Amino acid sequence: MNISDFNIEFDKMINRDYFSDKVHPLREKAFSKFLEIGLPTKKLEDWRFTNLSSISNSSFRISEKQDAPNGDVDISQYQIDDVETIVIYNGHYIETLSSIPSGIQLLTGLDYLEKTNWEFNSPEHSPFDLLNTAFMDSGMSIVVDQNVIVEKPIRLLFISSGSESLMVTPRIHIDLGESSSATFIEDHRGDSNSFFQNGSTFVTLKQNAQLDHIRIQSNSVTTANIVNIQVEQNANSRYTFFQFADGGQLGRLNIYNELKGEGANSDINGLTLSNDSQHLDNHVITDHQMPHCSSSQNFKTVLQDNSSGVFNGRTIVRKDAQKTDSSQSNKNLLLSKSALMNSNPQLEIYADDVKCAHGSSTGALDKDALFYLRSRGLDVLSAKALLVRGFATELLDLVKHDGTRDFIIDRFDSWLAENTTA
Amino acid sequence: MLDIKNLHAGVDGKEILKGLNLSINPGEMHAIMGRNGSGKSTLANVITGREDYTVSKGDILFAGDSILDWSPEARSLAGIFMSFQYPVVIPGVNNTYFLKAALNAKRKHAGKKGLDAAGFLKLIKEKLIEVSMDPKYLQRAVNDGFSGGEKKRNEILQMLTLEPTLAILDETDSGLDIDALKIVADGVNRYRNADRSFLVITHYQRLLKYIEPDFVHVLIDGQIVKSGGKELALELEEKGYNWLES
Ligand SMILES: Nc1ncnc2c1ncn2[C@@H]1O[C@H](COP(=O)(O)OP(=O)(O)OP(=O)(O)O)[C@@H](O)[C@H]1O
Ligand SMILES: [Mg+2]
Repeated sequence: MNISDFNIEFDKMINRDYFSDKVHPLREKAFSKFLEIGLPTKKLEDWRFTNLSSISNSSFRISEKQDAPNGDVDISQYQIDDVETIVIYNGHYIETLSSIPSGIQLLTGLDYLEKTNWEFNSPEHSPFDLLNTAFMDSGMSIVVDQNVIVEKPIRLLFISSGSESLMVTPRIHIDLGESSSATFIEDHRGDSNSFFQNGSTFVTLKQNAQLDHIRIQSNSVTTANIVNIQVEQNANSRYTFFQFADGGQLGRLNIYNELKGEGANSDINGLTLSNDSQHLDNHVITDHQMPHCSSSQNFKTVLQDNSSGVFNGRTIVRKDAQKTDSSQSNKNLLLSKSALMNSNPQLEIYADDVKCAHGSSTGALDKDALFYLRSRGLDVLSAKALLVRGFATELLDLVKHDGTRDFIIDRFDSWLAENTTA
Repeated sequence: MLDIKNLHAGVDGKEILKGLNLSINPGEMHAIMGRNGSGKSTLANVITGREDYTVSKGDILFAGDSILDWSPEARSLAGIFMSFQYPVVIPGVNNTYFLKAALNAKRKHAGKKGLDAAGFLKLIKEKLIEVSMDPKYLQRAVNDGFSGGEKKRNEILQMLTLEPTLAILDETDSGLDIDALKIVADGVNRYRNADRSFLVITHYQRLLKYIEPDFVHVLIDGQIVKSGGKELALELEEKGYNWLES
C-alpha cells in the first residue's frame, strides 16, 4: 500500500452511504494525521526489527458488501466447543451464523459510538491506531453490566476468505461493569492468502471486573496482521490475556495496558509458533500508575526455518505505583539455525518500593534432554516434539476454558508434527 | 552379551578411552571403579550412543551386532539402559507421560500393543512400590525439583519399567542415603536374573556389599588396568589407585 493506494481506499470509505456522517470527521482527522506520518519504518525504535514490506509492497482494497458470503458458509471447520460464536466474515458481521450470548449487550457497527455519545477514543501510539480510526469497518462491542457473570466464553470468529486482497479494520470494544466477569476470544482464521487486518480492541474494566481475553491468530501464514489492544483497568480488576499465534506472514501485537486503580492485576501471555519466513512480533507495555498492582508478561516463541520474531516488553512503574509486583519473562526456542529472535524485556521504574523481575533466554533444544529421552527409546522426532511441548506446557496450561485449550493444543500438536525435523 | 574391543573414543578431539576391552556375559554383574575423570561415564555414554562422543577405533558388539552406528533409541529398544550419573531435568514434560511413551515405544518395538492409561497406571504403581517412591512424583515434570536421591530412584524406576537386558548404573549410589541405597540395591537384586547383565560404576565398596559383583574392573586413563573378583573392591578401598599406575 503506497500513499496513493491508501488515498483511493479512503475516498471509497468516506463515500460509503452506510456509514454515519458523524464518523466522517473522525476518520478524516485520523487519516490526514496518518498521511503526515506514513507507515512506520525501521528507523523507529519500536519498529526496528519489523519489516512492513508485506503491507507496503502489496495493494489491498477495503472490503465491500460483495465480499460478504453470498451463500452458506461452513463454519464447522472453525469449531471450538462450548463457546458462543459471533461471525465476522471479511469484515462483515454475519448475523445468521452468529449466536447472541445472553447476559451481555452486543452492539454492532457504530452503535457503541451512539451509546457513548461519540466520545471517541483515538489513541496515537502508532500510525496503525490512526489507520484503524480512518478505516474502521467491522465494529463490534460487548458490554457486560455490573455484577453480571458471563459463564460461556464469547468468541468473535474473524474469517478471512477468498482471493481478493482485502484490508479489514475491525474495532472492538469490551466494557465490563463493576464486579462482572467474562471470557472473550478473538479467533482469526480463514483461507485468504492475501489479507491485511489492522484491528483495534479497547478493553475497559471497572472495579473488580475480570476478563479473560484469548486471541488466536491461526489464519494463513501469508497474511498481515496488526493488532492494537488497549486495556484500561480500574481498582481490583483482573485482566488475563493469552495469545496463540501460528498464522501470519507478518504479525504485530501491540498491547498497551494501563493499571489505573489500586490492586489491579494483569497477566499478559503469549505462545508464538513460526516457520518458513513468518515474522511475528509482540510488543507489550504494562503501565503501573497506582499502588498495590501486580502484573506479569510471559511470552514464548518457537521458531523454525527462516522465521523471525520479536518480543519487546516494557513495564513502567510510575512514581505513585508503590508496592508494585511485576515480572517479565521471554523464552524462545530456535529449531533452526537460520531462525532469528529479538528479545528485549525492559523495566522503567520511578517508584522505590517495588518488586520487579525480568528475564529472557533464547536457545536451541537442550541436547542433554534430547539424549536422555532418546536413551529411553523415544525416536528423535517424538523426543524433540515432547521437548517443545514441554517448553510450551506452562503457557498452554494457562488457558482455563477446556474447549479453547483443546483447540489450541490440537493446533499446537499439528504444528509440531509438521515442524519437527530430525 | 556385550563385547567391547580395543575401544578408542573421545570428545572434541580429545581421546578419553584409549583401547578398552570388556566382555559381559548374560547374567553377570560387573563393577567399574576408577578415579574421577578416568573415563567411566564416557564409557557408559559411548555404549548408549551419545552423539557428542566419537569412536575412533575398536568396536562395541551387543548380542553379536556392532552397534556403533546405532542411534541411542535403537540401542535402548535393543535392551541397553543407562542410569545417568546426572539425570536430566526436563521442565514441562510430565513424568507419567514420558514413562508411558518410553514403555510403549519399547512394547511396539517388541511387537506388543501399547498400554492404555489404565494399564500403564497399574503397572507403574507396582514398580513405584519396589523403589518406595510416592506416586506424586509421577505428576511432576521429569526430575523437576527432585532431590539428588529422588532422581536416582527415578532412574531405577525407569529401569524396572523398561526392563533392559543390559543396565549400566553410573554412580547410582552417589547421593543416596543409607535407606535409599538399600532400597535401590534390593530393587537391582530382585531384577537380576540369568538373562540380565549389569555394569555398575561406583566409587564405593559400600554399594558392592549390597550388590555383589561377579567382576570388578579398574579403569585408569581410559584403559582397564586390572580386573578381579569382588575382593578387588576391598583392596582398592584400602590401597587406593596409586599402586595400579605404571
Ligand atoms: N563432553 C565433554 N567435553 C569435554 N571433556 C569431556 C567431556 N566429557 C568428558 N570429558 C572429559 O573426559 C574425562 C573423562 O570424563 P568422565 O566423565 O568419563 O569421567 P568419570 O570417570 O566418569 O569421572 P567421575 O568419577 O568424576 O564421574 C574428563 O577429563 C572429562 O573432563
Ligand atoms: Mg562419571
